[in-house]
Amino acid sequence: MSGGTGYLKPLPTVTAEDREFWAAAREHRFVLPKCQACGHVWFPPYASCPACLSFDRGWTEASGRGTVWGFTIMRQPYIPSFEPELPYNVVLVELEEGPMVYSNLIDIDNADVACGLPVEAVFEDATDEITLIKFRPV
Amino acid sequence: MSDREFAGQTAIVGIGGSDFARLYRTPDPERTGEALATEAIAAAIADAGLEKSQIDGLITGGLPHYEPVAYRTGLTDVRFVVDYPQAGRMCAMALMHAATAVHHGLADYVVLFNSVVFRSQGVKFGAQPQGLLYDTIYGMASPGAQYSMGFTRYQAEYGGTEEQLGAIPVAIRSHARMTPGAIMQAEMSIDDYLASRYIAEPLRLFDYCLVNDGAVAYVVTTAERARDLAHPPVLIAGTAGRANFREWYVDLGFWDEACRSMKADLFDPLGVTTDDIDCLQVYDNFSVSVLWGLEGFGFAPKGQGLDWVQNGRIALGGELPVNTSGGMLSESYLQGWNQHAEAVRQLRGQAGERQIPDCDWSLYWCLSALPGATLLCRDGLL
Repeated sequence: MSGGTGYLKPLPTVTAEDREFWAAAREHRFVLPKCQACGHVWFPPYASCPACLSFDRGWTEASGRGTVWGFTIMRQPYIPSFEPELPYNVVLVELEEGPMVYSNLIDIDNADVACGLPVEAVFEDATDEITLIKFRPV
Repeated sequence: MSDREFAGQTAIVGIGGSDFARLYRTPDPERTGEALATEAIAAAIADAGLEKSQIDGLITGGLPHYEPVAYRTGLTDVRFVVDYPQAGRMCAMALMHAATAVHHGLADYVVLFNSVVFRSQGVKFGAQPQGLLYDTIYGMASPGAQYSMGFTRYQAEYGGTEEQLGAIPVAIRSHARMTPGAIMQAEMSIDDYLASRYIAEPLRLFDYCLVNDGAVAYVVTTAERARDLAHPPVLIAGTAGRANFREWYVDLGFWDEACRSMKADLFDPLGVTTDDIDCLQVYDNFSVSVLWGLEGFGFAPKGQGLDWVQNGRIALGGELPVNTSGGMLSESYLQGWNQHAEAVRQLRGQAGERQIPDCDWSLYWCLSALPGATLLCRDGLL
């Protein structure tokens, strides 16, 4: 699923708040916002620190490691471009750094998806501009 | 904490609502949200035995704008107005606001309502434009998928089967079958439940609430004024809220902390315990919401809620009937508002064949991004 104009699924609407996050993903780097005032790490990439309200935002490289907190197997065709993949998994991953992210697990059968599974980030180039962060079992 | 002095000082004195089943069978786009609200308001004022001219507070909910209903009902000169956005979670908040307003004299009689036209307008609760965690780029769509993730986690921590979960929608359906106007009247067995299709596995169609049209309105005033009105007052013993904003929605502890906080606010000032509660009329957007609230409020031991709800315990005639008019799973998705109307009927002794003997206390909760809870009781208990 690389590159070009053939990608039909929803893409993120890149904003001023998260432009740097998506730019890093395009370079196959997983970065998280980190407060330069108090050290808090958060996600999604709001412009300010939810802990101390500072706008002095930096970035830290995420390890890419985490564990599956919960998952669901989508059966209902809510999003037309995902219909050919039904049933597919969606997971809520707890990153080593703390934040929670939604994603998909690849290289695994739906029947084997489980809570507590250790996973690592992989990068999937969707278009020339957007690279999605997915996960696979470690 | 709740104010002991505030407990029981206000009351729900009128209820009114739509014929949900008829609207469901025959969606009518000309019966707008404003029209449905107007019907419910008229019914609630009449139920209270009041004149419309006595209403001096208005809390609107569910509609794109608050003024149109004021024009249609002639409630154009009230002295207290609040508007709530369309969101299922607002019922306890609106009641909290209404009770506070009449207690402090901001208004004498507040009418409040929620009105929805989801079915006739083809509203889908599926994919949001993006979601707070870029949901749609991963195919994550619908609140049910979020609760489903919670249930896979719950099962990993505590065990339990889908068949056990089915006891909740099956019990609630049995209540709808006794409720005039409830949408889902067909009998449902546990086999019927298990035969229903997955939406976001492991949750099935029958774990999901309905999507329909309708409105429900209440009139709230002080307990003192309530005692002169048409029906026995149903006292607002307490209201509580405790936000649980999480970008991924489902609380990682299954709303335990929110439940504990709201329970302390509602129960502790009054010395009420779970043993005092005669029925639960709770927000059953998904079956698992009922499960987690039962554990969070301490009715069922932690991690054992699925065992606890078996064998008719939460059905009428059981130890703790839940959603005795069919809730949102089977009566109507009026977002907590139909549950409070049923609580009022039970506490007045007007629930017909569904009547719980000596029903004194009814508890409501909504486990969402903005959890709320209310405790209602009969007059003379506080």
